[in-house]
Amino acid sequence: MPTFTYGNVSIEVDEDGFMQDPDQWNEEVAKALATTEGVEELTEDHWKLVRYLRDYYQQFGVAPMIRKLCKETGFSLKEVYELFPSGPAKGACKVAGLPKPTGCV
Amino acid sequence: MEMERTSTLPEVPEEILAGLCPPRLTPEKIQERLSYIIEKDRVAGDLPRRFLEAFAAVLQHTNYRQVIDSYARIPARCSNCACACQIYQQTKAPEDVPCYRSSLLLDVYRRHFTLRGIVEGHLKDTPLLTDDLILEMAETYYHCTACRRCTLECPLGIDHGLVTHLARYVLSEIGLVPRALVISTRAQLEGPARNTSAIPWPAIADTLEFLEEEIADDKGVPVKFPVDQEGREYIFFAPVSDYLMEAETLMGIAAVLHAGGLGDAWTISSEFLDGINYGLFYSDWILERCLREELAQAKRLGARKILIGECGHASRSAKAFIRTFGGGDEAPPVVNILELTHRLWKEGRIRLRPDTITDRVTYHDPCNLARTGWIIDRPRELLRAFCADFVEMEPRGPWNLCCGGGGGTVSIDEIRPYRTGVTGVKKAEQIRATGARYVVAPCANCKKQLREVCEDNGLSDVEVVGLHDLIYKAIELDGGGGDA
Repeated sequence: MPTFTYGNVSIEVDEDGFMQDPDQWNEEVAKALATTEGVEELTEDHWKLVRYLRDYYQQFGVAPMIRKLCKETGFSLKEVYELFPSGPAKGACKVAGLPKPTGCV
Repeated sequence: MEMERTSTLPEVPEEILAGLCPPRLTPEKIQERLSYIIEKDRVAGDLPRRFLEAFAAVLQHTNYRQVIDSYARIPARCSNCACACQIYQQTKAPEDVPCYRSSLLLDVYRRHFTLRGIVEGHLKDTPLLTDDLILEMAETYYHCTACRRCTLECPLGIDHGLVTHLARYVLSEIGLVPRALVISTRAQLEGPARNTSAIPWPAIADTLEFLEEEIADDKGVPVKFPVDQEGREYIFFAPVSDYLMEAETLMGIAAVLHAGGLGDAWTISSEFLDGINYGLFYSDWILERCLREELAQAKRLGARKILIGECGHASRSAKAFIRTFGGGDEAPPVVNILELTHRLWKEGRIRLRPDTITDRVTYHDPCNLARTGWIIDRPRELLRAFCADFVEMEPRGPWNLCCGGGGGTVSIDEIRPYRTGVTGVKKAEQIRATGARYVVAPCANCKKQLREVCEDNGLSDVEVVGLHDLIYKAIELDGGGGDA
């Protein structure tokens, strides 16, 4: 299993760079993972998305429906892509420490 | 009667004639490219022997042998199929000619499973199956998107899609399967959530509640997503990814059923609700297990028909094989949502406001719905009823071009550059030529792929949507329903 290291952060990730153990997530990890998504600095907007994803994941064990994510955070899908260029499923979820989505996602 | 293996037809590319062995790709290159395909723990040891054992078992216990045996008696080197293959048209690589691809498996059959091949093998020292050839197969049979367009062009009637399926089936038996397909299928058949995207039931329930609230907000009408209701006419299986990605598609479907008086005639099962069936792409075992899950839920809830959402392969796998595993005439009929929506509209049970959509709209035919001529005109009739500017892509219908992500390849994120830069390029050109704002693709697989194709090919103004996404905007909802 590959190990991803950035600064003081060292975590196990899958082939696509998603965290193996979502329980190890913390804000330092998020900042480190963001660099792999072309996001050098996490702004308050980034954190708003990441925290919502994180909370939903902790409650339901999966990411929310994209329409719900947009509605609850107030961002349009376009704005989500501006924040995380590879999109909500691959970019934002990765930074929030969720596992890689499977199936036709 | 077996014909000569080497044809002397003048127009056949030299590479096809000569290209069987040794493999054109170096083992190092294949290994490197195959990193995403192999379940490493299962692929070890004597590959050729294991491949032949698996092939022999499949031939012995299925009806593939008579098909493969008749194909193996045909030289299949004319390459007419090359004109139909959008991958070959893009790469112009001999190994992407469909009949070359099929010849890899057919030559294994000829060499190892026919008397002539075995005798000749001893006399002429014909090459045996090698590791390299197996790895080449594992790569090339997943370069094919199983769109089956080539079958329309083969003068000898060879179904190269079937050969691709059989090759993938045998490869899967020795552990050579794309990781993405294996993980998703395990989540669906063995995981706690019992769906390919591993969405636990509480999350689905939360999503359904959210969707009901959204419809109420948008339309002012209480439209329901019924769950675990017994004795309904339809049990509904969407591709489960819709519950993450395609809110509008699901809202449109629920709105249609509600407005058409079928609001109390359908149900979702909380125990198994995923219509996705990756078995169609690589394994008849998986194909059967997924269908048996659907049948079991229909039986549990006493539903009389299986209704599949906007998903090409889920629809075709159920439509084509439900009788095989569901007791022949005893099996419940399979209906795709496009068929049902069209019928409700034709009967005047739903109304679509003309000219609701004024931006230009085009329609992408999912291969699994259109190649056989199953569902082609009905979605277009629906779109014309409420779109002011509907234009067609060329070619279309049974001759449509694949989205470029068929046959399960869309789930393999590692090959996105191949999907959008090779297999999907012709599709991008086709979409660009229409000048459309909306591309309607009633298939979860095609939607994901087309969005990536548009993104990677500079079509940022194009929006890829489902048919029911647009119907949701156009349908007249008056709080009715309930007359089922």
